[in-house]
Amino acid sequence: MIEVTSLTKLYGDFVAVDDLSFGVGAGQVMGLVGPNGAGKTTTLRCLSGIIPPTRGAVRVCGHDLASDPIPAKRNLALFTDEPRLFDYLTVEQHLAFTARIYQVGDYKSKADQLLEELELAAKRKSLPGELSRGMKQKLVIACGLLHDPKVIYFDEPLTGLDPYGIRRMKDSILKRSRDGATIIISSHLLHLVQEICSHILILKNGRKVSFGTMQEISRQYSDEPGEANLEAVFFKATGEEGR
Amino acid sequence: MVGALFYLQYHSIANRLLMRLRRLRQPKYLLGGIVGALYFYFYFFRYLFGFSGGRRSGMAMMSPSGTHLALYESIGAAIFLIAILLAWLLPHERAALAFSEAEVAFLFPAPITRRGLIHFKLLRSQGAILFTTFFLMLVTNRFGGKFWIHAAGWWVILCTLNLHLLGCSFARTRLMDRGITPWKRRFVVLGLIGACAAAIGIWARKSLPAPNLDQMSNFDAVQNYVQGVLTSGPLPYLLYPFRLVIRPYLAPNVHAFVFALPAALLITFLHYLWVVRADVAFEEASVEASRKTAQKVAAVRSGNLRSANVRMKGRRAPFALGTTGPTAPAFLWKNLISAGQVFTPRLWILFAATATAVCSFLAQFSQHSAIVSALGISAAMLVVWSMFIGPQLLRQDLRQDLALADLLKTYPVPGWELVFGELLGPAAILTALQWLLLLISGALLLTSPPSYLPATTTLAIGASAALVVPVLNVIILQIPNAAVLLFPAWFQVGKDRAQGIEVTGQRIIAIFVQLLAFIVALIPAAIVSGGVFYVVWNLLDRDLAIFLASTAAAIILAAEAASGVVFLGRLFEQFDLSAELPLS
Repeated sequence: MIEVTSLTKLYGDFVAVDDLSFGVGAGQVMGLVGPNGAGKTTTLRCLSGIIPPTRGAVRVCGHDLASDPIPAKRNLALFTDEPRLFDYLTVEQHLAFTARIYQVGDYKSKADQLLEELELAAKRKSLPGELSRGMKQKLVIACGLLHDPKVIYFDEPLTGLDPYGIRRMKDSILKRSRDGATIIISSHLLHLVQEICSHILILKNGRKVSFGTMQEISRQYSDEPGEANLEAVFFKATGEEGR
Repeated sequence: MVGALFYLQYHSIANRLLMRLRRLRQPKYLLGGIVGALYFYFYFFRYLFGFSGGRRSGMAMMSPSGTHLALYESIGAAIFLIAILLAWLLPHERAALAFSEAEVAFLFPAPITRRGLIHFKLLRSQGAILFTTFFLMLVTNRFGGKFWIHAAGWWVILCTLNLHLLGCSFARTRLMDRGITPWKRRFVVLGLIGACAAAIGIWARKSLPAPNLDQMSNFDAVQNYVQGVLTSGPLPYLLYPFRLVIRPYLAPNVHAFVFALPAALLITFLHYLWVVRADVAFEEASVEASRKTAQKVAAVRSGNLRSANVRMKGRRAPFALGTTGPTAPAFLWKNLISAGQVFTPRLWILFAATATAVCSFLAQFSQHSAIVSALGISAAMLVVWSMFIGPQLLRQDLRQDLALADLLKTYPVPGWELVFGELLGPAAILTALQWLLLLISGALLLTSPPSYLPATTTLAIGASAALVVPVLNVIILQIPNAAVLLFPAWFQVGKDRAQGIEVTGQRIIAIFVQLLAFIVALIPAAIVSGGVFYVVWNLLDRDLAIFLASTAAAIILAAEAASGVVFLGRLFEQFDLSAELPLS
């Protein structure tokens, strides 16, 4: 579903992402982890077409994101940690606008269902300024899921959510994955990543340190067979003791 | 404690200045700085240093001196009194000192007394007061007088006003704590105002000759009557403390200033004592006020001035948006909702009703045809004026949305379609306003046609203008939108909205470049339509020539607009946010 080949992003002389290649298939959930400044957010922005890579290619559902962006973007959704909303559109107007942009014909029933699921039904007429941070995040999620994306990126998805929201978010991610969506999650919450991700990509200074299933990277970094603690693996992989 | 607060203020200002100076190492800010400095020099500073040329001597005649000094002093005092009365009348909130969120977080939990916080607030407000003093001094110094007398005078006025507003907010809060509601307070204040106004009215009727309306067209007669009311009878006593505050600013020489200053400073000092001795709980309201201020600042920095100033409400969609089809109408729909915060249906109805009423009224005075036709031509001139001012005011396009460019970039929409959709909103609003003006202009000119403008020509020009203005609007709106895509850092889109002389200079350069680009865009249409006009006029008829020439111009302009949209679309697709804008 998503194939990344030699992705490189430079900011002047600074290498933010360096020759990154990986692939994530349908139904897989990949955790993108790394210390601050590792290039996680830049990677996600390149993968979603927000910023152009300096070199390399990204293919989404078989479409090249640079040369064939429209069909590629139709299959994408990106959820950032900071809700990005139009401050003059109400909740239901956001959904109507998103439906037209993504050409979702039968959006009303789906929108109602999403609003119910996300407990936003009573806030249909509210502007973003009248919503709490968690509710804004839920509205972003409702808009993003309206067109049933096949590839979903989450950048710190649990920020601003209460414990109920966190549980629902985790369930929602796993449900989407079971339904065949490809999911990439960038997060510092290693227990979350370990709990819901089938694959892990560890970045450091823009470079790939490790990529594989949880078991594979555990084997690579763990001293004892059978140990599968992402936190320990992360420190070994990104710290001085990393191989 | 005051030392620590002074340290915070001093270093905040110093660091801000240092940052601006460092910014001048970038050519775009240096060039802007040079242009801005030249602008400020020629417009303000040369009057400060006496290199005024012939203009100042003419303006100096307007300086308040001689016989009218008392009148100006009374007018100033009356304005001061009105400002203070409004402070007692209008607000209904509890006292809230303006702190930033960081100040609330650092200072409120710190071991600082309430009086210490008031002192900090007073110290902090000095920054704004000194800046305003400097600006007002620059402006008023153009009319003559000594600049330091103006500066000191403004400082005393602004400090006293600031202290009074603060003290007034504390007093209002205390009244509320004692169960006196804002409406009871307003009733008492209005009663006092009414009593004073009645006393002054009765005195004026008894003591002053009744104003002769026939002589009121003479400015001196009006001035003399106002002077009589303000400087004799009960009003001078009422205005006396306010005149004392105003007097140093209006002092015509050093001697008068030195003589006037002690009384003004005494009033300021008494206000200071009133404020610092108040023991009113302002913390809770201040926390809420600081949150609102932070929201406003964030809105202004993201380029959304409207949401900073208008309390936004959910607005009804202008039309039902289908779920399939081209996406450009979706952006039009979205931006019309955005504009609906200001351009409400009520406003449009008010526009139309006013225009109809004015036209009907004027039509009854067809004997004054010169006035009616002059008004008609003025309405037509407003159409031209709106083309230059409209795009600066109507910003419901990429200028508004570029702060959300990361979101727009994820949309599966071709660049040209997105740009076209973004331009449609302000273009539609501007066109509606211009068509309304053209209708008013046409109605007035047809009611009282001037001798040089036959009715058929008026109709031809009106129809031609109505045809051309939508396309012209799309073109003229493309220029600032192209500018934000080509030079986003120059146009201060995004979260780092810069300020300062260098940014003023950048804006002057931008306006000049926009004007130049617009003229260049008009050249091909002007050549073609000129040719069509010449041929048709010679072969057929002038009015037909006007209409056909404007149709040809509209076609050329439409082709230019389409090319511009495609170009802007490519620009948007290639727009690298990471290189141009600070990403959140």
